[in-house]
Amino acid sequence: MKLIRAIIRPESTQRVIEALEKNSIYAMTRMNVTGRGKEMGITQGAVRYTEMPKEMLMIVLPDDVVTKAVRVIETAARTGTKDYPAAGNPGDGKIFVTDVDESHTIRTGEK
Amino acid sequence: MKLIIAILREDRVEDTKEALETIGVRGVTFLYVTGRGQQKGRVSVRELGESLNRNMRMQLVGTWPGAGSLLHNDTEFAFGFLPKRMLIIVAYDEEVNRIVQAIVNSNQTGRHGDGKIFICPMISAMRVRTGELGDKALS
Repeated sequence: MKLIRAIIRPESTQRVIEALEKNSIYAMTRMNVTGRGKEMGITQGAVRYTEMPKEMLMIVLPDDVVTKAVRVIETAARTGTKDYPAAGNPGDGKIFVTDVDESHTIRTGEK
Repeated sequence: MKLIIAILREDRVEDTKEALETIGVRGVTFLYVTGRGQQKGRVSVRELGESLNRNMRMQLVGTWPGAGSLLHNDTEFAFGFLPKRMLIIVAYDEEVNRIVQAIVNSNQTGRHGDGKIFICPMISAMRVRTGELGDKALS
């Protein structure tokens, strides 16, 4: 079992969710976060923004669907330019995958 | 050392706090999140109304039939990301079962949406104030 944390643009969240739904992945937790990447935020004129608003999706999945799910999120979250729709831009986000030892369903108490 | 991530109903959090206090768990991080499970965030309009009265954190998704029109109360069910609380606890391996049991006991209603608990490996921790590493950081 793996935990996927996807930090994506808030405006691409809906697209990512719909793409996951098409692949029968419905269960997820989302939260608003702020962050920056290696570009250290953005500079607009004299103003430097060091924390950009992002949305984090947390999804726990069995090992065999993880690769596909990551691919789906990646494709849906990538923004492009007019000429290259799949080019990707700084700020599109990151996807982290970590281990989950066990999960419990509270309703039934089962592992 | 393990990382326990519990996603719970908002109205069960106070009980959970008490339960954790009784078994001696002190350090907990609380987050406001939204989420849904295998039911795709299905909620009855009545429950939704109660939730809307409590707070406005419900995020509606217009993907399913009826999702957009529920405010007119002409559908029975709505779908959306429901407001939840997330608890994050870092604990010693031998404490994990006790904590999970306490959370399950204080959150189980038997209805969908009770939540999930995930247990992930955690390599180390540091207490920022003193710089203590590993097990000492938790004690």
